[in-house]
Amino acid sequence: MSLHNEIGKIGENFAKEFLKKQGYRIIEQNYKTKYAEIDLIAEKSAGFFGKKELVFIEVRTKIGENFGSPEDTLNKSKLRKVMQNALAYSAFKKWRGPSRIDAICIVLKADCTISRLTHHENIIGS
Amino acid sequence: MLIKVPSVANLGLETIKVDIEINLANRGLPGFEIVGLPDKAVDESKERVRTAITSCGIDFPAKKITVNMAPADVPKEGSLYDLPIAVGILSSVLEFPVPDKSLFLGELSFDGGLRHTKGAFLMALFAKEFGFKNLFVPKDSANEAAAIKGIKVYPVENLTQISRHLQKQDEINPVSYKQVSQSAPAPAEFDMKEVLGQEQAKRAMEIAAAGGHNIIMIGSPGSGKTMLARALPGILPPLNEIESLEVTKIYSASGGIPPGGSLISSRQFRAPHHTASLVGLVGGGSKPHPGEISLAHRGVLFLDEFNEFPRQIMEAMRQPLEDGYLAISRSKQRVIYPADFMLVASANPCPCGYAMHPKKNCICNPNQIAKYQKRISGPILDRIDLHISVMPVDTAEFEDNQKNSEFLEASQIIKQRVVLARQKQEKRFKNETIHSNSQMKNSHIKKYCKLSKDVEEILRQASLKFQLSARSYMKMIKVARTIADLDGAEEITISHMAEALQYKPKNYELA
Repeated sequence: MSLHNEIGKIGENFAKEFLKKQGYRIIEQNYKTKYAEIDLIAEKSAGFFGKKELVFIEVRTKIGENFGSPEDTLNKSKLRKVMQNALAYSAFKKWRGPSRIDAICIVLKADCTISRLTHHENIIGS
Repeated sequence: MLIKVPSVANLGLETIKVDIEINLANRGLPGFEIVGLPDKAVDESKERVRTAITSCGIDFPAKKITVNMAPADVPKEGSLYDLPIAVGILSSVLEFPVPDKSLFLGELSFDGGLRHTKGAFLMALFAKEFGFKNLFVPKDSANEAAAIKGIKVYPVENLTQISRHLQKQDEINPVSYKQVSQSAPAPAEFDMKEVLGQEQAKRAMEIAAAGGHNIIMIGSPGSGKTMLARALPGILPPLNEIESLEVTKIYSASGGIPPGGSLISSRQFRAPHHTASLVGLVGGGSKPHPGEISLAHRGVLFLDEFNEFPRQIMEAMRQPLEDGYLAISRSKQRVIYPADFMLVASANPCPCGYAMHPKKNCICNPNQIAKYQKRISGPILDRIDLHISVMPVDTAEFEDNQKNSEFLEASQIIKQRVVLARQKQEKRFKNETIHSNSQMKNSHIKKYCKLSKDVEEILRQASLKFQLSARSYMKMIKVARTIADLDGAEEITISHMAEALQYKPKNYELA
């Protein structure tokens, strides 16, 4: 495994822990569709009796922000890919409920501890 | 979080209120979006605002920012929305309220400073009319806005200063209007006393300046037509208060007021080249801009080599020459620009230029001359009050003239007479909407230019003999009125009318 993949892996685990604390239930990690991979798929009830909402999460990790922030790496083509994946998963699992796409952007220090973790909800649409 | 910052949009010379609504959403990827029909300059303000805020040492909020400009169906243009957008974002970051009854305008530079922005004067007029108390404008544009009394104008130097003011940590002191030196009359290129000979033409110039009459000079090359016209600004009367407001409005809208400048108090002298485009001269475009004729409002439009101008341009000037304004209708917008100017034209009598020369031979054939003169259409010539032929100065007399030039009248002296005549007119028309004799309509002529029997008889005979049109007939009365004003007379006498008739439209008899 090359270095950037390892950083990604570390970031994904941090994101997973973060989401669990926020009350999400992780369904899948690194789910492969025929297009690409979905980093995390989780679900959360919206409201007290609310319907379950399916959340696809794209995790972006960087060490230091000197060469651009993780948000900058979410360009149009990446977002399109993420959306296609999400649609493919929903179709495959015949999911009828609400769903959304989130991003978790993590900046790590040199010793691989978190310096910043930002959760951007609903990054596509509105 | 929703923030509202009021600003304005200038559509031609009309101003409407524009609400800048800024939403900073927590959901979604950080971004910056502007909606509400922004043009390219407004859309690019995203980058200016972002960089300016960062330059002031404030972290640009990593939120999804959406800016809406209401009303959404009016196209917004220009760079004036930088300041209101930046103030809105800062008010959310630094948590201060946007003050009531205030308007914001200004273009940002990357270092957080504010640049001179056009339209501050129009915004001040709007603020006064609709009860806004405070104006925040760039420091360089503050004097322009401060010319309107009764509102507080805050000169803003940079973003840090305004954010400290709005947080009530520091105070910006409102400016009061300062008369600036640039609005003193612009010096003319020539003094009238430098023009040797041409006494009749100088007299005609004086009459034209006093009454705001249109004038055309026809003569050989080198006889001094252009020089006479260039000396004209030196004898023009200053603008009165109402006229000054009108002219300043046009210049503020078109960005013609320099940084730190204010009210324009001298008459403008515009001399476009004859290659000017129709839109450049008359005004227009898909977002209508004022043309040269509007920039010459209450001033002089000098068209040198008049018959070199394309026919289309000359004909387009017919209506504004008569009405004093121009209504531009485009699919997106309808705009009325005032265009009450004094047309000063000069032309040669024939292609070689020497048709009227007493000594030199003209080498053009009659066909060519007819064709050349036909380029200026009859309707245009009919709208010009004073027609003069400028004869070449005899170079033999030149030496003597040059010695005597100190005895010739200086522009300053002529100007005094012109100003007196103009004051008489203003007194006469103080209950009317017009300012000078040339603007008189038929009803005004009936009221203010009573002709005695003898004078009327002269005019009647002249109009029969020279086949004057009804319009020319009226113009002759107006010119006679101005000559009487210059003379200080209350009534138009025979000598006034006789002089006016010298300037009638004529066919240029060939020497």
